[in-house]
Amino acid sequence: MKYHLVTLGCQMNISDSERVRAVLERMGYVHTENEGEANLLGMLACSVRQKPIDKVYNKIAQWNRWKDQRNLITFISGCILPADKEKFLKLFDIIFQMSELSQFPDMIRSYGVTNAASLQPKPVMPQNEHIVDLWQIKPKYQSTYEAFVPIQNGCDKFCTFCAVPYTRGREVSRPSGDILAEIRHLVNQGYKSITLLGQNVNSYGLDKEGEEITFSELLRVIGEYGKSSGEEFWVYFTSPHPQDMGREVIEMIAEYDCLAKQIHLPMQSGDEKVLIKMNRRHSMDKYRKIVSDIRELIPQATLFTDVIVGFTGEGDTEFQNTVKAMNEFRFNMAYIAMYSPRPGAASYRWQDEVSQEVKKERYHQLSEVMKIHTRDYNRQMIGKTFRVLINGTDRKTGFSTGLTEGKLSVRLDHAMPELMGKIVDVKITSAADFSLSGELMSLKEKIVF
Amino acid sequence: MQAKTHERMTVEVKQAIKIDERFYKVEEIRKLTEDTFSIRMPKGRFKFKAGQHISLGIHGDYQSREYSIYNGENDEFLEVLVKEVKDGYFSPKLSNLKPGNLVEVNGPFGKFRVDEKKIDDHKFVFVASGTGIAPFRSMVRTYPDMDYQIIHGVRYGYEAYDKNEYDPKRHVLCTTGDKSGDVHGRLTKYLKKETFDKSTQFYLCGNSNMIFDALEILKKKGFDRDQVHCEVYF
Repeated sequence: MKYHLVTLGCQMNISDSERVRAVLERMGYVHTENEGEANLLGMLACSVRQKPIDKVYNKIAQWNRWKDQRNLITFISGCILPADKEKFLKLFDIIFQMSELSQFPDMIRSYGVTNAASLQPKPVMPQNEHIVDLWQIKPKYQSTYEAFVPIQNGCDKFCTFCAVPYTRGREVSRPSGDILAEIRHLVNQGYKSITLLGQNVNSYGLDKEGEEITFSELLRVIGEYGKSSGEEFWVYFTSPHPQDMGREVIEMIAEYDCLAKQIHLPMQSGDEKVLIKMNRRHSMDKYRKIVSDIRELIPQATLFTDVIVGFTGEGDTEFQNTVKAMNEFRFNMAYIAMYSPRPGAASYRWQDEVSQEVKKERYHQLSEVMKIHTRDYNRQMIGKTFRVLINGTDRKTGFSTGLTEGKLSVRLDHAMPELMGKIVDVKITSAADFSLSGELMSLKEKIVF
Repeated sequence: MQAKTHERMTVEVKQAIKIDERFYKVEEIRKLTEDTFSIRMPKGRFKFKAGQHISLGIHGDYQSREYSIYNGENDEFLEVLVKEVKDGYFSPKLSNLKPGNLVEVNGPFGKFRVDEKKIDDHKFVFVASGTGIAPFRSMVRTYPDMDYQIIHGVRYGYEAYDKNEYDPKRHVLCTTGDKSGDVHGRLTKYLKKETFDKSTQFYLCGNSNMIFDALEILKKKGFDRDQVHCEVYF
């Protein structure tokens, strides 16, 4: 039997999909990219924006039409809002939370049964206590050199624009021993880029009230392992919340080579009032202090961020404060999103008062500001040599591409597929707004073909 | 986990019996004004820090809302303060709850908490609009000896929820709709006039406009942003 899995949304869903695939393949299912030949069709949904949810509805409508032609079982998991869940129950054969993945084989086997759990009161918030069961499942990694390692799931922050606390439940930390074991396994297998995943990674351990190490301590343990392993690999994390980002986390990154010198620190807005309205629970002063610590302790670190434009209450003055912040922090990358109300999030109940036109205008204006800084930064890299992880091929030219430790995109001057998954020295020869070009220098390690 | 019925398959059902500890029976609904009430539940093993909030859901409904905890850490019950929003989705349903009904409680959440290290040698000023007083009642009930002042802004005097629980010298009521308060006007009027110790810790809770205005006033008075803690109600 073949299965086909559609994964929408963030890296956390990609990581979850690796575990879903592992479970299915252990049951004997074979993956296919062709949904037309699969008998088990599934999706990992994302509720962060409306578009992916629309995709779910379109896809399931198509799959349900196919049921007239062949035997099909459909399932859905991932980030699902309670309101959508009610509708999905009528559209999909199986719905489960990721924390219930270990029971998924039983669900498939006993397909068609209203189980005991559905007779109990349905919790409003997803049950997340059993997420540890999910983490026990060994994932089927989709890459041989880049991997995602979940360290925490859920969110307790309740930002007003976001529905994640209602889709993934409250924060639960994965045991640090398991995290380190997975990292060791990956490094032993030759993985070069490992990303620690969580909705609020730097809240790691806090839910265990002293019975688990903190995020900075986790970084130290990983750093010490990296040092003793003698291997070259880079460990990233995403996403941290500024509220819990202490100087000690930055000190750890500065101290250990394997902790990548790239920090993604979502700002969301540069305006104090908008931050309050977003219920971000950090001030611009706090954000400024974190950036200042990063610049002081890891001057070579690249800084990425997320920004939402057109949030309710963002007038011209407030938007200009975000522009000022972009100029002040000179991010290497900003993922800018136009605000769209999400059902389930608190702000959904407010008037979406900034017109789409204004949102688009602000999006473009902010993108232009970002470009000034990325271009400046990239230009000063010309002539310097950086370690680059080769991880792809340029679609137009066929030349190899990669990422620096700071996650800046680099295109090589010719195709070298044999270097895929290797970290090599690249001298930067030219720079564009969002990418660099370079030539391969000598390899530090001997490549085994 | 839920699944739809398939006609042709016969399978064994494993009966799993599990008591979900997040469902609480409503113990008491305490009417405070015509449209404001508190919901009391048995506290059980629920632990929290004064100032934190919970997510409250109703059995059988798929939505939930966040409410600050209204009782003290050592009280035997768990309580939230709710103002019914006319034409709202959730609060009218809460207002129809009766003792014995089931609600779902998740949490506690949040870091809007008193810094315990500062209790002995700092003054605390709690600024609340409307039901934003909830976390401050929790703090005062938990730390009755702390040096605090509550500045509570409401429209009418009768909205000074549980006012008699506070030391009258520490409670300033600002009313805009009548003259029954200590101050006639918005709480920001009082905040502007008043002087505070340099090391005062300010806690603001309520609607975002009040918080924006109060922040501006405190900034002009020279207080650092990290002395001002905010919890916005939405």
